[in-house]
Amino acid sequence: MSDPHPGSLAEQLAARFGDTLSLTAVRNETIAELAAADLIAVTTALRDEPVFRFSELIDLCGIDYLSYGQTEWDTDTAGGDGFSRGVEGQAMGRFNWDERPRAASEPRRFAAVIQLLSIEHNRRLRLHVFCDDDTLPMLPSLTSVWAGVNWFEREAFDLYGIIFDGHPDLRRILTDYGFVGHPFRKDFPLIGNVEVRYDPELKRVIYQPVSIEPRVLVPRTIRNDADLLQAKAEAADHWREN
Amino acid sequence: MGVIDSVSRVMHNPQPLNLVDDILRPVGDNPVMQHGFATTSVDALMNWARTGSMWPVTFGLACCAIEMMHAGASRLDLDRYGVIFRPSPRQSDVMIVAGTLTNKMAPALRKIYDQMAEPKWVISMGSCANGGGYYHYSYSVVRGCDRIVPVDIYVPGCPPTAEALIHGILQLQKKIRRTSTVARS
Repeated sequence: MSDPHPGSLAEQLAARFGDTLSLTAVRNETIAELAAADLIAVTTALRDEPVFRFSELIDLCGIDYLSYGQTEWDTDTAGGDGFSRGVEGQAMGRFNWDERPRAASEPRRFAAVIQLLSIEHNRRLRLHVFCDDDTLPMLPSLTSVWAGVNWFEREAFDLYGIIFDGHPDLRRILTDYGFVGHPFRKDFPLIGNVEVRYDPELKRVIYQPVSIEPRVLVPRTIRNDADLLQAKAEAADHWREN
Repeated sequence: MGVIDSVSRVMHNPQPLNLVDDILRPVGDNPVMQHGFATTSVDALMNWARTGSMWPVTFGLACCAIEMMHAGASRLDLDRYGVIFRPSPRQSDVMIVAGTLTNKMAPALRKIYDQMAEPKWVISMGSCANGGGYYHYSYSVVRGCDRIVPVDIYVPGCPPTAEALIHGILQLQKKIRRTSTVARS
């Protein structure tokens, strides 16, 4: 039986959508980047047209590209004893978008990633949509295309502050009642702004300003081969001398 | 040794374990059955009753709850200690805070605690409940459930083994035994 839809998924997408999608492939995974204005039309076509039939939306999640690709630790200064842990790091939440360390490698800050599955054709597609406005990130809601995206969009709204236009019930889904801010944004302080404790006078749990200092918690062990060889040589010298 | 030999020994920790367990001895060497009566202090009797039936309110929050289930299941079997998990705080004496206590859950935890009848005790199980643990620097986690409720026993571990939890329960029994409810002049 001959294949009624010849060609790879990337070829079919390019033939159908043209310049609307910008296609890349990483490890045989097809990734299509598109503009927010085209999202509804493209996804409806991807769901309905027999060539694609992406009947199922697996996931939708947000991304904050603030400080994307930048490491907090300078790994060039490592000695034989490893990396210093007591750095004055620029951890998450210690800078905001205006005071970001370097020019961002990405033109836009917020994006959403949508994972699709075509059960009929047994193949997957990843959509990558950037929000046009960094200060008020907004995307069209996909609830009219896949109803199951409802809670994923609520999650992306809760954690990243991306507003989904046309969502029927865009409330917070994970964070505390009355939570202020969007915690997965890179300029949100990791320790938060408030903490809770029980007040014996008021006889209830109260909120108060956070009482601890932020701290660099993630030991970075990223090193290149030259550093590793240098470290091994220094360790050998150290062993011989002592 | 009878049911009780002297008040002074009752009030000291560790208390000899055979004091109140005499009631449970076989008929032949049971002093209660031999003599037909027993004397004890009200405190010892109350503590025997309390330690023998500590009913915890089921408050599993995270992976520690899995270990708590192991402690309750057939291999270790908390029922042997009279520890029977209850679905209602009104019927409970102990609250085992098993897992990460988040800011969002904290008012609910306090409400459950307030609904428990006196006397009541709290076991904090695992690093997260003890002091925030892995999530100490998180924006959404209470840095220790002792900020919300008074804690009697801290069980360390991430998660603690079921044996460690049982050890904590036995430590709480020991703590309860050295309390004196009836005031003595």
